[in-house]
Amino acid sequence: MTREERFQLEVADVFKSYERDRRPFAVLDGVSIRVREGEFVTLLGPSGSGKSTLFRIVGGIELPDLGRVSIGGREATGTPGLISYMPQQASLFPWMTVTDNIASALEIAGVRREEARRTAREWLERIGLAAVAREYPGVLSGGMQQRISFLRALLMPRDLMCLDEPFAALDALTRTEMQGWLLRMWEAERRSVLFVTHSIEEALTLSDRIYVLSKAPARVLREIEVPFGRPRRSDVWTEPAFTELKREILDLLGKGDAHAV
Amino acid sequence: MANKAAWRRVWPPSAAFVVFVALWQAACDFGRVDPWILPAPSAIALRMKEDAGLLAGHLGATLQLALSGVAIGLAAGVAVAILLHLMPFVRSALSPFVIASQNVPLIALGPLLMIWFGFGLTPKLILLTLVCFFPVAWSMLAGLGRAEPHLREYLAMIGASRRDMLLRLELPASLPYLFAGLKITVTYSVTSAIVAEWLGASRGIGYYLVLKFKGYDTSAVFGAVLCIVALCLALYGLASLLEQGVVRRRLRTRPVKAGWRK
Ligand SMILES: Nc1ncnc2c1ncn2[C@@H]1O[C@H](COP(=O)(O)OP(=O)(O)OP(=O)(O)O)[C@@H](O)[C@H]1O
Ligand SMILES: [Mg+2]
Repeated sequence: MTREERFQLEVADVFKSYERDRRPFAVLDGVSIRVREGEFVTLLGPSGSGKSTLFRIVGGIELPDLGRVSIGGREATGTPGLISYMPQQASLFPWMTVTDNIASALEIAGVRREEARRTAREWLERIGLAAVAREYPGVLSGGMQQRISFLRALLMPRDLMCLDEPFAALDALTRTEMQGWLLRMWEAERRSVLFVTHSIEEALTLSDRIYVLSKAPARVLREIEVPFGRPRRSDVWTEPAFTELKREILDLLGKGDAHAV
Repeated sequence: MANKAAWRRVWPPSAAFVVFVALWQAACDFGRVDPWILPAPSAIALRMKEDAGLLAGHLGATLQLALSGVAIGLAAGVAVAILLHLMPFVRSALSPFVIASQNVPLIALGPLLMIWFGFGLTPKLILLTLVCFFPVAWSMLAGLGRAEPHLREYLAMIGASRRDMLLRLELPASLPYLFAGLKITVTYSVTSAIVAEWLGASRGIGYYLVLKFKGYDTSAVFGAVLCIVALCLALYGLASLLEQGVVRRRLRTRPVKAGWRK
């Protein structure tokens, strides 16, 4: 299990504040998180707590006021181009077909054009989406767009995947379906994932570990090892431990609120 | 279906046009307007038929001049837009002057260019380029800066270079703006070609116009105007078709196919 102890991502004591009404407005208040190789880690926190800000810092497009980021064991503070990313909105390019959307992202990551296109086509076929390979994103449903967006992130030759509330814009039914789909895809591939969500159920269903963040300025309130094994059943919510953990997190966030107010 | 929709769009203006021409004809027939002041549509048509060969030749010359201006203006406009977009400092330094330059009247600029460059093709092309480049450059520049912020954020997050940002996002996103500029440019190009020819040329509709004005041949003047309007409309139509081919096709959205969505 030496492999387990290599950290794909280490965020150490990151502070960040923005200016608001000419006064500093603290967003991240000494946040430290780690993602092991092949681990699915979730950031769970209330809206506006600074999760996306943390992502921008991990992505290297924003500098922390204090603290460090390292990716794959190397210093990566302020260094873009080391992660793959799945945003809340699918962010597919409307003038490119599904295949080209995926291939284009791979090319940006340094994959040669023909190889990028071949990989995209093969994978679309493999996961049963060959039918939409030549469609433009505008004709696809929201759930389908998110599948493409996820596949695009998965195929990038990067060691860390960052998913920022990828299902927040979907209706409840599609969302549940997408969670199951993501679970199967991820368990087959076992990439290092940093995932953001508001949804406690989503976090418990998908993750190996959860960091519960407080309201802004965000601190890590608690780190929770999710006790459910892999491969995980998507009806894991029926287990008693699930309900207990859910209550624990709700209490935690409630207390966080009380602090912030 | 599509035909019916097209018909519904075309018939009201067509009917208005027919009524207008009929009223005009009636006014001339019964109102005893001096044909020298307002020729009847029938007289104009007759005059155009007489001069058909001549008109076609001049029209061809004007078209050639206008299209050359559009081609050079388009190339210059796209180049300038990209340059100013990539260099914000140059942009803020130069844009007041570029905008000011658009307020110099053609009637003043034309003669100056002729003093500097003689009576050949050069001053006319310069004049046309100056006119044609602006709408393209300005609307494209706006388009380059108006790419979807969330796509920009996505590209930044995966570490796209400035070049990738330009080629994969900003340029494609600016295409609709480019075509909006092009549609304005093609109509400008015809009117400025006429002005250039008016100022000094031996062929082109502008030249024909001057000739007929001097001869008080009002029906021929009307004929020339008709030709100019037709030319503008034709070029505009062409630009729209091009736009539809390049832009609209890729952005179309169709209803979702076989029910995936719940
Ligand atoms: N560039 C900026 N300038 C000023 N304030 C900012 C900036 N970016 C973010 N903020 C503020 O920082 C706080 C955290 O924002 P962030 O987007 O990281 O929250 P979040 O946890 O992702 O929220 P959500 O769950 O709603 O997406 C917000 O109050 C936001 O207004
Ligand atoms: Mg966010």
